[in-house]
Amino acid sequence: MHCERARELLSPYLDEALAAHDRSLLTAHLASCQDCTKFAVDLRRLTRTLAAVGRQATPPSLLPRLRRALADAQPPVSGPPVRPPHRPRPPARTMPWRALPVLAAAAVTAVATWWLLSLAEPEARLQHDVLAAHMRALLQENPTQVASGDTHWVKPWFSGRVDFSPSVTDLSAEGFPLLGARLDYIGDRRVGVLVYRRRQHTIDVFVWPNPDGKDRAQRVVVRKGYTLVTWTRQGLTYWAISDLDADELKTFQRLL
Amino acid sequence: MRSLPRFEQLALKHLEAAYNLAFWLVRSRPDAEDVVQDAYLRALRGFQNFHGDDMRPWLLAIVRHTAYRWLNNRRRAGNVISLEEAYEAAAIRSPGEVADSEPNAEARLIGAAEQHYVVRALGELPPAFREVLVLREIEGLSYRDIADVTGAPIGTVMSRLARGRRDLRQALTQLLAKDEPNAL
Repeated sequence: MHCERARELLSPYLDEALAAHDRSLLTAHLASCQDCTKFAVDLRRLTRTLAAVGRQATPPSLLPRLRRALADAQPPVSGPPVRPPHRPRPPARTMPWRALPVLAAAAVTAVATWWLLSLAEPEARLQHDVLAAHMRALLQENPTQVASGDTHWVKPWFSGRVDFSPSVTDLSAEGFPLLGARLDYIGDRRVGVLVYRRRQHTIDVFVWPNPDGKDRAQRVVVRKGYTLVTWTRQGLTYWAISDLDADELKTFQRLL
Repeated sequence: MRSLPRFEQLALKHLEAAYNLAFWLVRSRPDAEDVVQDAYLRALRGFQNFHGDDMRPWLLAIVRHTAYRWLNNRRRAGNVISLEEAYEAAAIRSPGEVADSEPNAEARLIGAAEQHYVVRALGELPPAFREVLVLREIEGLSYRDIADVTGAPIGTVMSRLARGRRDLRQALTQLLAKDEPNAL
Protein backbone atom coordinates (compact mmCIF):
# COMPACT_ATOMS: atom_id res chain seq x y z
CA MET A 1 0.00 0.00 0.00
CA HIS A 2 1.23 3.49 -0.83
CA CYS A 3 1.57 6.04 1.96
CA GLU A 4 -0.89 8.37 0.27
CA ARG A 5 -3.61 5.71 0.22
CA ALA A 6 -2.77 4.70 3.79
CA ARG A 7 -3.24 8.27 4.98
CA GLU A 8 -6.65 8.47 3.33
CA LEU A 9 -7.70 5.30 5.12
CA LEU A 10 -6.32 6.41 8.49
CA SER A 11 -9.12 8.87 9.04
CA PRO A 12 -11.98 6.31 8.82
CA TYR A 13 -9.71 3.83 10.62
CA LEU A 14 -9.51 6.15 13.63
CA ASP A 15 -13.30 6.55 13.51
CA GLU A 16 -13.66 2.76 13.45
CA ALA A 17 -15.46 3.08 10.14
CA LEU A 18 -13.07 1.05 8.01
CA ALA A 19 -14.07 -2.31 6.50
CA ALA A 20 -12.12 -5.32 7.75
CA HIS A 21 -10.24 -5.85 4.50
CA ASP A 22 -8.91 -2.28 4.30
CA ARG A 23 -8.18 -2.35 8.01
CA SER A 24 -5.85 -5.32 7.74
CA LEU A 25 -4.07 -3.82 4.72
CA LEU A 26 -3.64 -0.57 6.61
CA THR A 27 -2.35 -2.13 9.83
CA ALA A 28 0.14 -4.15 7.78
CA HIS A 29 1.36 -0.91 6.17
CA LEU A 30 1.59 0.87 9.54
CA ALA A 31 3.69 -1.93 10.93
CA SER A 32 6.30 -1.28 8.25
CA CYS A 33 6.07 2.53 7.81
CA GLN A 34 7.29 4.82 10.58
CA ASP A 35 6.16 8.00 8.86
CA CYS A 36 2.57 6.84 8.55
CA THR A 37 2.62 5.61 12.14
CA LYS A 38 3.74 9.07 13.24
CA PHE A 39 0.93 10.50 11.10
CA ALA A 40 -1.58 8.20 12.82
CA VAL A 41 -0.33 9.22 16.26
CA ASP A 42 -0.63 12.89 15.31
CA LEU A 43 -4.19 12.44 14.04
CA ARG A 44 -5.25 10.66 17.19
CA ARG A 45 -3.72 13.43 19.25
CA LEU A 46 -5.58 16.03 17.19
CA THR A 47 -8.83 14.20 17.84
CA ARG A 48 -8.18 14.19 21.57
CA THR A 49 -7.17 17.84 21.61
CA LEU A 50 -10.28 18.92 19.72
CA ALA A 51 -12.45 16.88 22.07
CA ALA A 52 -10.73 18.66 24.96
CA VAL A 53 -11.33 22.06 23.36
CA GLY A 54 -15.01 21.13 23.28
CA ARG A 55 -17.85 23.40 22.35
CA GLN A 56 -17.53 27.14 22.51
CA ALA A 57 -19.38 28.33 25.59
CA THR A 58 -22.90 29.52 24.81
CA PRO A 59 -23.42 33.06 26.14
CA PRO A 60 -25.90 32.88 29.07
CA SER A 61 -28.01 35.64 27.53
CA LEU A 62 -28.74 33.61 24.40
CA LEU A 63 -31.32 31.23 25.90
CA PRO A 64 -33.66 33.94 27.32
CA ARG A 65 -33.22 35.93 24.11
CA LEU A 66 -34.17 32.91 22.03
CA ARG A 67 -37.22 32.16 24.12
CA ARG A 68 -38.43 35.73 23.69
CA ALA A 69 -37.87 35.59 19.94
CA LEU A 70 -39.71 32.26 19.64
CA ALA A 71 -42.62 33.46 21.75
CA ASP A 72 -42.89 36.59 19.58
CA ALA A 73 -42.81 34.57 16.35
CA GLN A 74 -46.06 33.56 14.72
CA PRO A 75 -46.95 29.95 15.46
CA PRO A 76 -46.76 27.64 12.44
CA VAL A 77 -49.78 28.20 10.22
CA SER A 78 -49.60 25.09 8.04
CA GLY A 79 -51.35 21.79 8.65
CA PRO A 80 -54.56 20.14 7.44
CA PRO A 81 -57.24 22.64 6.40
CA VAL A 82 -59.70 21.22 8.93
CA ARG A 83 -57.60 22.68 11.71
CA PRO A 84 -59.17 25.62 13.47
CA PRO A 85 -57.38 28.90 12.82
CA HIS A 86 -54.39 29.32 15.05
CA ARG A 87 -54.44 32.36 17.23
CA PRO A 88 -51.30 33.58 18.92
CA ARG A 89 -51.58 32.73 22.56
CA PRO A 90 -50.62 35.16 25.26
CA PRO A 91 -47.08 34.44 26.44
CA ALA A 92 -48.12 33.17 29.86
CA ARG A 93 -50.09 30.37 28.25
CA THR A 94 -47.29 29.20 26.02
CA MET A 95 -45.36 28.03 29.06
CA PRO A 96 -46.52 24.69 30.41
CA TRP A 97 -45.14 23.12 33.55
CA ARG A 98 -42.57 21.12 31.72
CA ALA A 99 -40.93 24.34 30.57
CA LEU A 100 -40.35 25.36 34.19
CA PRO A 101 -36.80 24.03 34.48
CA VAL A 102 -35.85 26.00 31.37
CA LEU A 103 -37.54 29.11 32.73
CA ALA A 104 -35.86 28.59 36.06
CA ALA A 105 -32.56 28.26 34.23
CA ALA A 106 -33.17 31.52 32.41
CA ALA A 107 -34.19 33.29 35.58
CA VAL A 108 -31.30 31.90 37.57
CA THR A 109 -28.86 32.78 34.81
CA ALA A 110 -30.16 36.34 34.74
CA VAL A 111 -29.96 36.70 38.50
CA ALA A 112 -26.59 35.00 38.62
CA THR A 113 -25.25 37.31 35.92
CA TRP A 114 -26.34 40.22 38.01
CA TRP A 115 -24.40 38.84 40.98
CA LEU A 116 -21.41 38.43 38.76
CA LEU A 117 -21.54 42.06 37.78
CA SER A 118 -22.29 43.46 41.20
CA LEU A 119 -20.12 41.20 43.31
CA ALA A 120 -16.70 40.61 41.94
CA GLU A 121 -15.68 38.44 44.86
CA PRO A 122 -14.45 35.01 43.83
CA GLU A 123 -16.85 33.08 46.06
CA ALA A 124 -19.92 34.63 44.45
CA ARG A 125 -18.43 33.95 41.05
CA LEU A 126 -17.82 30.33 41.89
CA GLN A 127 -21.38 29.94 43.15
CA HIS A 128 -22.59 31.52 39.95
CA ASP A 129 -20.46 29.27 37.79
CA VAL A 130 -21.49 26.12 39.64
CA LEU A 131 -25.15 27.05 39.48
CA ALA A 132 -24.97 27.96 35.78
CA ALA A 133 -23.09 24.77 34.93
CA HIS A 134 -25.64 22.69 36.84
CA MET A 135 -28.52 24.39 35.00
CA ARG A 136 -26.85 23.88 31.64
CA ALA A 137 -26.38 20.21 32.42
CA LEU A 138 -30.06 19.88 33.34
CA LEU A 139 -30.94 21.26 29.91
CA GLN A 140 -28.88 18.59 28.20
CA GLU A 141 -30.30 15.31 27.08
CA ASN A 142 -27.63 13.54 29.06
CA PRO A 143 -25.73 15.13 31.95
CA THR A 144 -22.82 12.67 31.67
CA GLN A 145 -20.01 12.08 29.19
CA VAL A 146 -19.29 8.71 30.72
CA ALA A 147 -22.45 6.95 31.92
CA SER A 148 -21.61 4.30 34.45
CA GLY A 149 -22.39 3.46 38.05
CA ASP A 150 -19.12 1.58 38.34
CA THR A 151 -16.60 3.61 40.34
CA HIS A 152 -13.74 1.61 38.81
CA TRP A 153 -14.89 2.76 35.43
CA VAL A 154 -15.63 6.38 36.27
CA LYS A 155 -12.49 7.17 38.29
CA PRO A 156 -9.99 6.12 35.58
CA TRP A 157 -12.07 8.02 33.03
CA PHE A 158 -10.78 11.25 34.59
CA SER A 159 -7.11 10.39 34.14
CA GLY A 160 -5.70 12.24 31.16
CA ARG A 161 -8.76 14.51 31.12
CA VAL A 162 -8.00 16.41 34.31
CA ASP A 163 -4.75 16.72 36.23
CA PHE A 164 -6.10 15.32 39.49
CA SER A 165 -7.97 12.26 40.62
CA PRO A 166 -11.26 12.83 42.43
CA SER A 167 -12.47 10.22 44.87
CA VAL A 168 -15.47 8.38 43.44
CA THR A 169 -17.67 6.56 45.94
CA ASP A 170 -20.44 4.07 45.27
CA LEU A 171 -23.45 5.23 47.28
CA SER A 172 -26.15 3.19 45.57
CA ALA A 173 -26.82 1.23 48.79
CA GLU A 174 -27.52 4.54 50.53
CA GLY A 175 -29.97 5.61 47.81
CA PHE A 176 -27.62 7.84 45.84
CA PRO A 177 -26.79 5.85 42.68
CA LEU A 178 -23.88 7.12 40.58
CA LEU A 179 -24.96 8.05 37.03
CA GLY A 180 -21.54 8.89 35.65
CA ALA A 181 -19.26 11.86 35.12
CA ARG A 182 -18.43 14.69 32.79
CA LEU A 183 -16.02 17.60 32.47
CA ASP A 184 -16.98 21.21 32.91
CA TYR A 185 -15.37 24.60 33.11
CA ILE A 186 -15.54 26.57 36.36
CA GLY A 187 -13.50 29.57 37.51
CA ASP A 188 -11.20 29.50 34.47
CA ARG A 189 -10.25 25.89 34.86
CA ARG A 190 -11.34 22.49 33.72
CA VAL A 191 -13.09 20.59 36.50
CA GLY A 192 -14.49 17.11 37.03
CA VAL A 193 -18.19 16.53 37.69
CA LEU A 194 -19.63 13.42 39.31
CA VAL A 195 -23.31 12.94 38.69
CA TYR A 196 -25.46 11.17 41.28
CA ARG A 197 -29.21 10.72 41.57
CA ARG A 198 -31.55 10.81 44.54
CA ARG A 199 -35.01 9.69 43.48
CA GLN A 200 -35.77 12.07 40.60
CA HIS A 201 -33.22 14.68 41.68
CA THR A 202 -29.88 15.06 39.96
CA ILE A 203 -26.87 15.87 42.11
CA ASP A 204 -23.79 17.35 40.45
CA VAL A 205 -20.54 17.22 42.39
CA PHE A 206 -17.94 19.58 40.95
CA VAL A 207 -14.37 18.91 41.99
CA TRP A 208 -11.03 20.61 41.39
CA PRO A 209 -7.70 21.00 43.20
CA ASN A 210 -7.52 23.63 45.91
CA PRO A 211 -4.43 25.83 45.50
CA ASP A 212 -3.77 26.40 49.23
CA GLY A 213 -4.28 22.74 50.12
CA LYS A 214 -6.10 23.42 53.43
CA ASP A 215 -9.06 21.24 54.37
CA ARG A 216 -12.34 23.07 54.98
CA ALA A 217 -15.46 21.88 56.71
CA GLN A 218 -18.84 21.53 55.04
CA ARG A 219 -20.63 24.80 54.25
CA VAL A 220 -24.16 25.14 52.91
CA VAL A 221 -25.49 27.90 50.67
CA VAL A 222 -28.99 28.13 49.23
CA ARG A 223 -29.42 29.99 45.96
CA LYS A 224 -32.76 30.32 44.22
CA GLY A 225 -34.08 27.07 45.59
CA TYR A 226 -30.90 25.15 44.84
CA THR A 227 -28.76 23.84 47.65
CA LEU A 228 -25.00 24.10 47.32
CA VAL A 229 -22.66 22.31 49.71
CA THR A 230 -18.94 22.95 49.53
CA TRP A 231 -15.98 21.41 51.34
CA THR A 232 -12.29 20.84 50.83
CA ARG A 233 -10.64 17.52 51.56
CA GLN A 234 -7.20 16.20 50.74
CA GLY A 235 -6.37 19.12 48.51
CA LEU A 236 -9.58 18.92 46.47
CA THR A 237 -12.45 21.39 46.64
CA TYR A 238 -15.93 19.96 46.14
CA TRP A 239 -19.19 21.70 45.31
CA ALA A 240 -22.32 19.58 45.42
CA ILE A 241 -25.47 21.12 43.98
CA SER A 242 -29.03 19.86 43.70
CA ASP A 243 -32.64 20.81 44.24
CA LEU A 244 -32.73 18.40 47.18
CA ASP A 245 -33.25 20.02 50.57
CA ALA A 246 -30.23 21.01 52.58
CA ASP A 247 -30.48 18.12 55.06
CA GLU A 248 -30.48 15.43 52.40
CA LEU A 249 -27.59 17.02 50.55
CA LYS A 250 -25.64 17.31 53.81
CA THR A 251 -26.25 13.60 54.43
CA PHE A 252 -24.98 12.88 50.93
CA GLN A 253 -21.86 14.94 51.58
CA ARG A 254 -21.08 13.04 54.77
CA LEU A 255 -21.37 9.72 52.92
CA LEU A 256 -19.17 10.83 50.06
CA MET B 1 -48.68 18.02 19.40
CA ARG B 2 -46.82 20.37 17.10
CA SER B 3 -46.66 23.44 19.24
CA LEU B 4 -44.19 25.98 20.48
CA PRO B 5 -43.69 24.23 23.84
CA ARG B 6 -43.03 20.97 22.02
CA PHE B 7 -40.58 22.69 19.69
CA GLU B 8 -38.79 24.32 22.60
CA GLN B 9 -38.60 21.04 24.45
CA LEU B 10 -36.95 19.34 21.48
CA ALA B 11 -34.85 22.18 20.12
CA LEU B 12 -33.51 24.11 23.09
CA LYS B 13 -31.50 21.22 24.43
CA HIS B 14 -29.36 21.44 21.30
CA LEU B 15 -28.65 25.12 21.82
CA GLU B 16 -25.02 24.51 22.77
CA ALA B 17 -24.42 22.38 19.69
CA ALA B 18 -26.15 24.96 17.50
CA TYR B 19 -24.16 27.83 18.93
CA ASN B 20 -20.88 25.95 18.60
CA LEU B 21 -21.46 25.17 14.92
CA ALA B 22 -22.59 28.73 14.21
CA PHE B 23 -19.54 30.10 15.96
CA TRP B 24 -17.14 27.94 13.99
CA LEU B 25 -18.76 28.92 10.71
CA VAL B 26 -19.04 32.69 11.24
CA ARG B 27 -16.22 32.96 13.82
CA SER B 28 -17.62 35.79 15.87
CA ARG B 29 -19.62 35.52 19.06
CA PRO B 30 -22.24 38.21 18.40
CA ASP B 31 -22.73 37.00 14.83
CA ALA B 32 -23.09 33.40 15.98
CA GLU B 33 -25.84 34.51 18.38
CA ASP B 34 -27.71 36.20 15.53
CA VAL B 35 -27.31 33.15 13.32
CA VAL B 36 -28.64 30.85 16.05
CA GLN B 37 -31.67 33.04 16.64
CA ASP B 38 -32.41 33.23 12.94
CA ALA B 39 -31.96 29.46 12.58
CA TYR B 40 -34.27 28.67 15.50
CA LEU B 41 -36.99 30.89 14.04
CA ARG B 42 -36.62 29.13 10.69
CA ALA B 43 -36.69 25.76 12.42
CA LEU B 44 -39.90 26.71 14.23
CA ARG B 45 -41.50 27.70 10.92
CA GLY B 46 -40.44 24.41 9.36
CA PHE B 47 -41.19 22.32 12.43
CA GLN B 48 -43.95 20.32 10.71
CA ASN B 49 -41.28 19.01 8.33
CA PHE B 50 -39.33 17.44 11.14
CA HIS B 51 -39.97 13.75 11.71
CA GLY B 52 -37.93 11.43 13.85
CA ASP B 53 -36.41 11.15 17.27
CA ASP B 54 -33.16 13.04 17.07
CA MET B 55 -33.56 16.67 16.20
CA ARG B 56 -29.88 17.54 16.33
CA PRO B 57 -28.90 16.78 12.68
CA TRP B 58 -32.03 18.48 11.35
CA LEU B 59 -31.49 21.56 13.49
CA LEU B 60 -27.76 21.74 12.75
CA ALA B 61 -28.50 21.56 9.02
CA ILE B 62 -30.67 24.68 9.43
CA VAL B 63 -28.00 26.41 11.53
CA ARG B 64 -25.42 25.60 8.87
CA HIS B 65 -27.60 26.86 6.05
CA THR B 66 -28.35 30.06 7.96
CA ALA B 67 -24.67 30.60 8.73
CA TYR B 68 -23.67 30.26 5.07
CA ARG B 69 -26.39 32.68 3.97
CA TRP B 70 -25.19 35.04 6.61
CA LEU B 71 -21.56 34.68 5.47
CA ASN B 72 -22.59 35.42 1.89
CA ASN B 73 -24.35 38.59 2.96
CA ARG B 74 -21.37 39.64 4.99
CA ARG B 75 -19.04 39.03 2.09
CA ARG B 76 -21.28 41.02 -0.21
CA ALA B 77 -21.30 43.86 2.27
CA GLY B 78 -17.51 43.75 2.30
CA ASN B 79 -17.65 43.64 6.05
CA VAL B 80 -15.28 40.77 6.62
CA ILE B 81 -13.82 40.66 10.07
CA SER B 82 -10.31 39.49 10.55
CA LEU B 83 -9.38 36.20 12.12
CA GLU B 84 -7.61 38.05 14.90
CA GLU B 85 -10.85 39.81 15.81
CA ALA B 86 -12.64 36.51 15.77
CA TYR B 87 -10.14 35.01 18.16
CA GLU B 88 -10.36 38.01 20.39
CA ALA B 89 -14.13 37.73 20.42
CA ALA B 90 -13.82 34.07 21.20
CA ALA B 91 -11.65 34.92 24.19
CA ILE B 92 -9.44 32.02 23.38
CA ARG B 93 -6.68 32.14 25.89
CA SER B 94 -3.15 32.34 24.72
CA PRO B 95 -0.72 30.06 26.50
CA GLY B 96 0.90 32.95 28.39
CA GLU B 97 -2.33 33.72 30.22
CA VAL B 98 -2.44 30.54 32.21
CA ALA B 99 -1.91 31.50 35.81
CA ASP B 100 1.44 30.24 36.96
CA SER B 101 0.55 30.40 40.64
CA GLU B 102 -1.57 27.26 40.34
CA PRO B 103 -0.17 23.83 41.04
CA ASN B 104 0.63 21.76 37.98
CA ALA B 105 0.71 24.94 35.95
CA GLU B 106 3.20 23.33 33.64
CA ALA B 107 0.94 20.39 32.83
CA ARG B 108 -1.94 22.72 32.19
CA LEU B 109 0.24 24.99 30.08
CA ILE B 110 0.99 22.20 27.66
CA GLY B 111 -2.69 21.34 27.35
CA ALA B 112 -3.73 24.97 26.98
CA ALA B 113 -0.98 25.75 24.45
CA GLU B 114 -1.89 22.78 22.34
CA GLN B 115 -5.58 23.63 22.43
CA HIS B 116 -4.82 27.24 21.55
CA TYR B 117 -2.89 26.27 18.45
CA VAL B 118 -5.36 23.65 17.33
CA VAL B 119 -8.18 26.17 17.63
CA ARG B 120 -6.23 28.68 15.55
CA ALA B 121 -5.32 26.11 12.92
CA LEU B 122 -8.92 24.90 12.70
CA GLY B 123 -10.14 28.48 12.26
CA GLU B 124 -7.89 28.86 9.23
CA LEU B 125 -9.13 25.79 7.37
CA PRO B 126 -11.66 26.32 4.56
CA PRO B 127 -15.25 26.04 5.89
CA ALA B 128 -16.01 22.76 4.08
CA PHE B 129 -13.26 21.04 6.07
CA ARG B 130 -13.73 23.05 9.23
CA GLU B 131 -17.39 22.08 9.51
CA VAL B 132 -16.87 18.33 9.14
CA LEU B 133 -14.10 18.46 11.76
CA VAL B 134 -16.31 20.41 14.18
CA LEU B 135 -19.22 18.01 13.64
CA ARG B 136 -17.07 14.91 14.00
CA GLU B 137 -14.46 15.84 16.62
CA ILE B 138 -16.41 18.25 18.82
CA GLU B 139 -20.03 17.13 18.32
CA GLY B 140 -19.15 13.45 17.87
CA LEU B 141 -21.70 13.01 15.06
CA SER B 142 -21.70 9.83 12.94
CA TYR B 143 -20.76 9.99 9.25
CA ARG B 144 -24.44 9.49 8.45
CA ASP B 145 -25.48 12.47 10.60
CA ILE B 146 -22.70 14.65 9.18
CA ALA B 147 -23.92 13.77 5.69
CA ASP B 148 -27.44 14.84 6.72
CA VAL B 149 -26.23 18.12 8.21
CA THR B 150 -24.00 19.08 5.28
CA GLY B 151 -26.15 17.62 2.50
CA ALA B 152 -23.11 15.78 1.11
CA PRO B 153 -22.87 12.04 0.34
CA ILE B 154 -21.16 9.91 2.97
CA GLY B 155 -18.19 9.28 0.69
CA THR B 156 -17.64 13.03 0.41
CA VAL B 157 -17.90 13.38 4.19
CA MET B 158 -15.22 10.73 4.61
CA SER B 159 -12.82 12.27 2.13
CA ARG B 160 -13.35 15.76 3.54
CA LEU B 161 -12.65 14.46 7.03
CA ALA B 162 -9.48 12.72 5.85
CA ARG B 163 -8.27 15.83 4.07
CA GLY B 164 -9.42 18.12 6.88
CA ARG B 165 -7.41 16.14 9.42
CA ARG B 166 -4.37 16.06 7.17
CA ASP B 167 -4.56 19.81 6.52
CA LEU B 168 -5.17 20.58 10.18
CA ARG B 169 -2.05 18.66 11.10
CA GLN B 170 -0.14 20.50 8.40
CA ALA B 171 -1.45 23.92 9.48
CA LEU B 172 -0.62 23.15 13.10
CA THR B 173 2.93 22.21 12.21
CA GLN B 174 3.35 25.46 10.31
CA LEU B 175 1.83 27.57 13.08
CA LEU B 176 4.13 26.02 15.63
CA ALA B 177 7.21 26.46 13.45
CA LYS B 178 6.33 30.11 12.84
CA ASP B 179 5.16 31.11 16.29
CA GLU B 180 7.02 29.20 18.89
CA PRO B 181 9.49 26.64 17.69
CA ASN B 182 9.73 25.22 21.22
CA ALA B 183 6.05 25.37 22.20
CA LEU B 184 5.28 21.71 22.31
